[in-house]
This record gives sequence, structure tokens and C-alpha cells, in this order.
Amino acid sequence: MIYPQHKALLDKFNIRSLRFSFWLQCVFILLLALALFGPIMNLLIWTVTESWYFPHALPSQWGFKYWQQVFNPYSDVSGSLFTSLLIAVLTVVVCMIVSIPAGYALSKRSMPLRIFWMLLFLIPQAFPNLTVYMNIARLFYEFGLNGTLPGVIIVHSVHGLMFSIWISVAAFSSTDPMLERASRNLGAGPFYTFFHIVLPQAAPGLIASCIFVFLESLDEFTGTFFVGSPNISTLPLLLYTASMEGNYQIASITALILLVPSILFMVIIHKFMKPEMLSKLGK
Amino acid sequence: MAHLHIKNLQAGYGKKMILDNINLTVEQGEMIALLGPSGCGKTTLLNALCGFVPVSNGEIFAGNRAVSQLPAEKRNITMVFQSYALWPHMTVAQNIGYGLKVQKAKQAEIESRVSELLSIVKLEGLENEKVTALSGGQRQRVALARALAIRPDVLVLDEPLSNLDAKVRLSVRHEIKALQKQLGFTSLIVTHDQEEALVMADRIAVLNQGKIEQIGTPEEIYHHPSMPFVADFMGAENHIEWPTNDDAFSLNLSNHATPLDIYFRSENAVLSTQQPASKDDFHTGLVINGHVEQSVFFGNNYQISVRCGKHTIQADHDQNLPENTPVTLRVPTDALHAFTKNVEHAEHQKNHAVTV
Repeated sequence: MIYPQHKALLDKFNIRSLRFSFWLQCVFILLLALALFGPIMNLLIWTVTESWYFPHALPSQWGFKYWQQVFNPYSDVSGSLFTSLLIAVLTVVVCMIVSIPAGYALSKRSMPLRIFWMLLFLIPQAFPNLTVYMNIARLFYEFGLNGTLPGVIIVHSVHGLMFSIWISVAAFSSTDPMLERASRNLGAGPFYTFFHIVLPQAAPGLIASCIFVFLESLDEFTGTFFVGSPNISTLPLLLYTASMEGNYQIASITALILLVPSILFMVIIHKFMKPEMLSKLGK
Repeated sequence: MAHLHIKNLQAGYGKKMILDNINLTVEQGEMIALLGPSGCGKTTLLNALCGFVPVSNGEIFAGNRAVSQLPAEKRNITMVFQSYALWPHMTVAQNIGYGLKVQKAKQAEIESRVSELLSIVKLEGLENEKVTALSGGQRQRVALARALAIRPDVLVLDEPLSNLDAKVRLSVRHEIKALQKQLGFTSLIVTHDQEEALVMADRIAVLNQGKIEQIGTPEEIYHHPSMPFVADFMGAENHIEWPTNDDAFSLNLSNHATPLDIYFRSENAVLSTQQPASKDDFHTGLVINGHVEQSVFFGNNYQISVRCGKHTIQADHDQNLPENTPVTLRVPTDALHAFTKNVEHAEHQKNHAVTV
């Protein structure tokens, strides 16, 4: 039996405990937000700073002076941005040329040594990055590939293939083999079938893998540093040089530019990555 | 359209042979149903015809062409898939016109053929719909139109109705049959539903364990099964082995000296609650005395399980009967399927659920 007075008391107690947990939640969310966005806030402030000296909590002079410097057509930044994009696009092309046929072949159960081939593409990631890239750089000296665009693209592709192969295999595995049969049944040869039936079915997954490769290439630092520098300067290399020189404004603006494609593509990936495809990953 | 001739066909996956020496001829414009339990090899036979399962022995003739060693795209035998296998990235018209596009037909020709087929399968006005927007029955008809578009020599249908719900299934069944009569295509249809086979097919081939057990018209298969398996599969599920060594059974057949396997349908067992008269009717082949074990309502009648000794016999009756009512079953001579027992059939009997 619950009497009205008791009930009111109970409600009061409930409200108090609710309030307590509500404030606790607020504190946690605030802390989390601070941890996530604190560094980014700092970065954002730096991008609109003209001068900021040590004891002050905020910059003494605000302005877009450095933006003009960065987007000046003769600056290092626009040149590096172009190089970065060119390398990223060409890396995507190389990765797709390899992983479309490889992904299709590896999605077939009848492929001999299937797991072995798939693991092979993971091996470069199994060793510490630095050792791998230093050895690649040493090898590339012999072929004259150091400091050239093809050299950097090859290094980025090795890294990107890991993503593109595994995602392509998943994309091709999630297509219905009966659709292929239906096409052969109606008189289409294997190539016609592949381009008109299989590829369109796997396209969303392949686009997702393109985006991964593109982003990885855009952010890649170690390989580019060992194989490409000093002739090839990408945005991450520029960012590194700028922060080493204490030029935080340039570094922050560069970082912000690198952030744009990442956020943009995350939205696109979200659209293309289907849950049923993720379930086929590695199968 | 042409006739299909299958000669001594053997096929299977790897070393495992699933089809064993299949011989079958489908005349021009005829529809044959391949009927059998799941795993009997009927879908494998279709896949072998279409080139999805390698043929290890024998030959397939579509018209006068030997096709068993041709790749799938050169056979001109089209299939309606169980899952329809329509291409989701194409519209209805693109799906149907695909085969013609592959043959590099002119755009105008493709369009006229597609609209002709859409009117045949009664889907006018849907040509620009995505196939994912269609219902099951509509998808089924698109799949049929797609398979017919390139004017195949032979059409094969792999359980085309199994993914439809019961009501749609009945209407599509009649539509396919009507189309087949109207257009006269040579076709093979796979099914595990005996009623579907009886209604749709001109002839039925009953398959079991990779072998064709009997080929014949629906009437022949239904009324004159040539072996115990066919009798049982076509619904004669009451089975007794003669002699039964039980007074409750009395058999009145001309040649019942040898051991027999006897099959009959529950609808042919006439049930009466009166005690047996001293002398039975001349036409009554089998008389069984027993007690009601269970009575199940089936809509138009009751199916009554009658217990007699170690056998349980199913019989149809128009009234519900309480348990343990003493009853008499009479089965007319011409409704009994009796097979002489021999070693070959011993294997079948082990697998019977109804036996004992």
C-alpha cells in the first residue's frame, strides 16, 4: 500500500536522484567535449591569430593574414596541396587497377591459397612502419625512384592496397552469384557479365575503398618523408616543416585544409558502406 | 523453340556424381515437370542443362545442337531462377531487354520486344520501375519475360513458385500454364509440390537419388505408379506389407500369394463405424478393422488416424469421431497400388515415415 504522502515523498526523492544523475551526465559530456574539441579549438584559434605571446591566454592580434599567405598561388601550400591531391588520385587509380581484379578473384571460394593472398597484403603493416620505409627508400635508390612522383605513389599504394583489397573482397563477396549466372544464361560472356552486372553491384563498396585509399594517401607522412623528400612536398610534410619552424599559423591552416576532405568523405562513406558488406569483411 | 533430348546424362560436383544416367526427351511445345524430394538432383539437372554444372558423361541436344560442352552463354537454354535473380540496378525494361542488348539488337527492336513481353506477362506501364519496387508475383513475371525475350530453344524453371505466398502461387501457376499453351515453349519445370506438377505439366518425371523413376502423364503417375517410391511421393502414404500376420486385415486380390507392398491414399479408404458384414463387397480389395486414434480437422473433411495392431492408417471421413471408436476401413481394389516385394525395394522401405 502506498499512501499519497508517501508517494509525494517518493517523487521528490526520484527528482533529486534524477537531478543528481543529470548533472553528473552534464559534467561527463563537458569533459568528453573538452578532450575531443579542446585541441581542435586551440588549432582553430591559431588559424586566425596574427600574434600570440606566451603569458596571454588569448592571442593579442587576430586576423586572416596567414590565410592570404597560404592561399597565395605562389606559396608552398598551394603547390603542396596540388602535389598531395595528384598523388592521392593516382594512388587511388593504382590501387583500383590492382584490387578490382584481385578482389573479384579472391571473393571466389575456388581461388587457391585465398587466405594466404589476402594476408600477404597485410604484411607491410605487420612490421614497424619506419623499418619498412627505410628499406624501401634504400631499394628505390637503386632504381632511381627516390624523390620522384612514381616512387611516392608506389609507397602510398602499398599502404592503400591493404584497405582496398580487403574492402573489395568484401564488396564482391556480398554480390549475389545468381545474378552472374542469370547474365551468362541470357547469352552474355564472362567479361560482359563482369562489367554490366558484377561491377555495378560491387560499386558502392569499391567507392568506399577508393575514399579510404584517398584519405590514407592524403595523410601519409612516413613513407613520403623517406622516399619523396626533399623533391616531393605533400601537405603533411609541409605541416611537419612548418611546426618544426614554430610557424603554428601555417601548420594550423594546413591541418584545417587536411580536415576538409576527411570530414567530407566520412559522410560519403557513411552513405555507401552497407552493413551487409561489413559482415562479409574478411570472409 | 525446339525439342530437348537428354541422353545418358551424368553430372555432379567434383567426384560426387549427383545425376546418374538420365534419359529424357521433351517434345517441342511440351512442359515436363521434374518432381522429387529435396536433394534428389532435380535442380542439378537444370544447372547441368544451363551449363552451371559440368557434364561428365552423356549428351544434351537442344534441337539438333549438342550443347553439353558449350559454355553457358552459348546454349540458348534460359532459366527462371528460384530467387528470380533480377538485377537490382536495372529497371524492368532493362532487365527484360538485357539478352537482346547482349546480342547487339537495335534499340527500336529491343523496345518493341520488351513492350510485347510486358503485355504478355501483363505488366504494362511498369517498364521504368526499379525491380526492387515490385511485389513477388510481379518479379516472377519479369523473370519469366526476361527468359523468354531472347526466344530460347528451351525454357527451364527452377521452383518458380516457391517464393510466393499461397494465394499468389495459385494464380501464377495458372498464368504460366496458360502462357505455355499460348506461346508453346518447350519447358522443364522443377518442383517438389506434387499438386503443382499435376496441374502444370503435360508429363511428369519423378526423380529420386539422381535417377528418373517414372515418366508419364499426370494421370499415369497418379493412378499407376510403377514403384513404391512414386506411389508414396504422389500421396499414397498408407503403406502395409503383406502378409501382415494380423486378423484385422483381410486382402482380396487375385495374386496375393507373394509378399506385397501395398500403398493407398487416405481419400480412398472408406470408413464406416458399423461392424463388418459377414460378406464383403466384391470390389473391396482391402478391409481393415481398427480403432480411432486421432481425428484432425482439414476443412472439407476430417483426417482420421486408425490404429490397427502395429499399423496406423490415415483415412478421410466427413465427421469427427471420438477416440477409440471401433471402425472398419474398406479400400476398393483399383485404389490399391500393390508391388511385388523384392530386394531392390528394401531400401525404400527403411526410409518410410508412414510404415510400421
